[in-house]
Amino acid sequence: MKRRDFIRDMAAGSLALRFGPGALAGAIATPAAVPVLVAVEGESPAAITREAIAALGGMKRFVGKGDKVVIKPNIGWDRTPEMAACTNPEVVKTLVELVLEAGAKKAIVIDNTTNQAKRCYVRSGIQEAVKQAGGDMLFVDDYRVKKTALKGAWIKEWDVLLDVIEADKVINVPIAKHHSLCRLTLGMKNWLGATGGARNQFHQDLDKAVVDLAAFFKPQLTVLDAYRILVRNGPQGGRLSDTQLMKTVVAGTDPVAVDALGATFFAVTPRELPYLRLARERGLGEFELEKVRFEKRKI
Amino acid sequence: MKREKSRKHRVLELLRMASQTAFFGLFLTLLLGAHYTGEDYIGSTVQRFFHFDPLLALVTLVAARLVYTLFAFALITVVATILFGRVFCGWVCPLGAVHQFSSFVFKKTKFLKPPREEKASLAWKYYILIIVLAGALFGLDLAGYLDPFSFLARSFSVAVFPSLAYALSGFNGILYGLGTTGLARSISQALENWTINVTFQQGFSVGLLFLGAVALNSRKERFWCRYLCPTGALLGLLSRWNLFKLKIDEEKCIKCGLCTQHCETQANPYPNEKWKSGECVYCQNCASICPTGAIRFPVSLRPEKMTNVSNVDLSRRKLILTTLLGIVAVPFFRLTPSHKRASLKLIRPPGSLPEDKFLAKCVKCGQCMRACPTGGLQPVLTEAGPEGIYTPMLVPKVGYCEYYCSLCTQVCPTGAIKKLTIEDKNKVKIGTAWVNKSRCIPYVLGKPCIVCEEHCPVSPKAIKLVEAETKLPDGSVAVQKAPVVDLELCTGCGICENKCPVMDDPAIFVTSVGETRSATNRLLLDITKETPADPYK
Repeated sequence: MKRRDFIRDMAAGSLALRFGPGALAGAIATPAAVPVLVAVEGESPAAITREAIAALGGMKRFVGKGDKVVIKPNIGWDRTPEMAACTNPEVVKTLVELVLEAGAKKAIVIDNTTNQAKRCYVRSGIQEAVKQAGGDMLFVDDYRVKKTALKGAWIKEWDVLLDVIEADKVINVPIAKHHSLCRLTLGMKNWLGATGGARNQFHQDLDKAVVDLAAFFKPQLTVLDAYRILVRNGPQGGRLSDTQLMKTVVAGTDPVAVDALGATFFAVTPRELPYLRLARERGLGEFELEKVRFEKRKI
Repeated sequence: MKREKSRKHRVLELLRMASQTAFFGLFLTLLLGAHYTGEDYIGSTVQRFFHFDPLLALVTLVAARLVYTLFAFALITVVATILFGRVFCGWVCPLGAVHQFSSFVFKKTKFLKPPREEKASLAWKYYILIIVLAGALFGLDLAGYLDPFSFLARSFSVAVFPSLAYALSGFNGILYGLGTTGLARSISQALENWTINVTFQQGFSVGLLFLGAVALNSRKERFWCRYLCPTGALLGLLSRWNLFKLKIDEEKCIKCGLCTQHCETQANPYPNEKWKSGECVYCQNCASICPTGAIRFPVSLRPEKMTNVSNVDLSRRKLILTTLLGIVAVPFFRLTPSHKRASLKLIRPPGSLPEDKFLAKCVKCGQCMRACPTGGLQPVLTEAGPEGIYTPMLVPKVGYCEYYCSLCTQVCPTGAIKKLTIEDKNKVKIGTAWVNKSRCIPYVLGKPCIVCEEHCPVSPKAIKLVEAETKLPDGSVAVQKAPVVDLELCTGCGICENKCPVMDDPAIFVTSVGETRSATNRLLLDITKETPADPYK
């Protein structure tokens, strides 16, 4: 990295910090005709991802020229794609391509994994996919994790990945999975992977933690991979029989709505998930899908 | 007389340095390469070096009463030594290179001034060799402590690499502070890529021993090789027939004594008849330093007199006495309860042989600890008795056994850890997890947790959740999901203990009971089943 780039990045990062991710999110104008939430079903993970972003108005709506974009998949586990423990590599790859096509300077893919980072990056297929698409895959660096004021209802401050908070734009790319404490791990819970420290203590009040993190990170875009979902033995599964093919990608600008739609794949009604209710109370979005501008496509 | 140094031997000396540097570099590169590369099976790394080591081959053969075919490579070293003397020590051994280089540095910095003549006895390494071999007769593997490959690999795996990585990551903090983000980032990514763990419970003692061994070179050049190395001693015994014998041209010799003063290994080139073929490592120092080029190594088929091999009085009496000493010492190693009942903390790597066989084969080289991706494999101090010092055990608080990893089984040079495919490894149980209900958050505090359950890698999970009622201090009753271990499914990988949020003494922990390799370290009398076939046969 050139020094000039670094100074500019730092400036951008500190500006982003100063005004908070909320300011960035608010800057995006929502054209009236464009839906807030889309679900696209189809055979190819890449094609349905492309279609979903197109339905939301195209990647240019979210990413500007020269932006540094962080794409945050779930790469938490040392599992192959068909185990549905990590985000589908094709979905991540397509997003990296779209982000770079939209003129972004950098597309960084990062996650604070649970198993050995390199294993997760390799076995999930995401490292190879990101490399092919021209993105940068980063391991979490001890010096790039910093205690930051989250100003949450429960968590006041916590270690977060600087790469995520310094980015110009953030895209959340979770996978839909079963979880035995909060029932389902979808988009908002995926932000645990952008934190460091003793994050397993979040489990002592996981719903509140999820909402505090979601309120802090506020992505421009959430793309939920539900191509193959994990229906039991979550959040890492281990057998093909733990998974179920849904062949769907959900994308949206409302992270609560994305999670609410994700819940329906597991026959869970959104109001059963306490963190969705808490998130709406915090003004993060809407979980009653009938109130959301929603479009469904099939290709 | 015309004084002219031998150019030929100077070239040979330079070649010897190049060879040492190359082998040292190769050794470290291969050792560094023993990590998850992105491939599940990493092929042969530094363990191939070990297969060329005749001492390890002999001791493993005798102690474990097993023929490990890969040790056939050691025959090459044996034949080479018989033909060419201890070239292995002078030209190949990477630990020898460390000692020779540090001796050189100590000499240049005047810490070490070699005397004109060295009288110290060279017998110690032969006694060490005899004790090691006598121990092997009784299944005691002591070779690993002083074998040069084991010593070097262990020192670098457990102490040198970790401390370098630690220093480098500290340096990274400075780089970030200075704004050189690009460089700092490359370093941090590389450290992650090479998987250098920086936490080792015996890192301090292993590191000190290594520094001590290097520091001894300030007393005598190549102190280790002269007085301690049992492998060198074994090769020394083989070297009396070698073809190239030192010859001083009496007409050219001016009796300056430089050759003997600067001999790395006290082989005493001058006077010629006092030269010890068993000590010479063919480093070419003497021939290169000789001001008149009087020293050569012509072919000679005449075997060296046995007494002259090291000029050590290896008389029958002393040999018998030392052998007896070795034999008497063996029971001391066995006065430990670990032979009666398994140690609860002694969780061996998956694929480890039953304990007695394991101890007879493990050479304490630390390669498994180097390869372990989570840093969970740690050198043992007390858990395995005195003969188990520096053997590996899993310490789940530090790191756990990765589900899709069998690297430790792939890098073991002696087969103390049997090579396993990942599929087979996942059928091996290395221990059993236990819930400490008096510390577990849901059981005691009535708060939700389930962290152990979500990390359990087997499917269906070995940790099940049940509803547990907890009486809280205010008298109310909390109901939470709490963990219960299914012994049939638990493999003892230890990720539950590693990730447990109760930091000091995890509320779920693994002990060795139920390990596949042991017929006695059992929990349940399972008379309804046939004894499972020994997975290592």
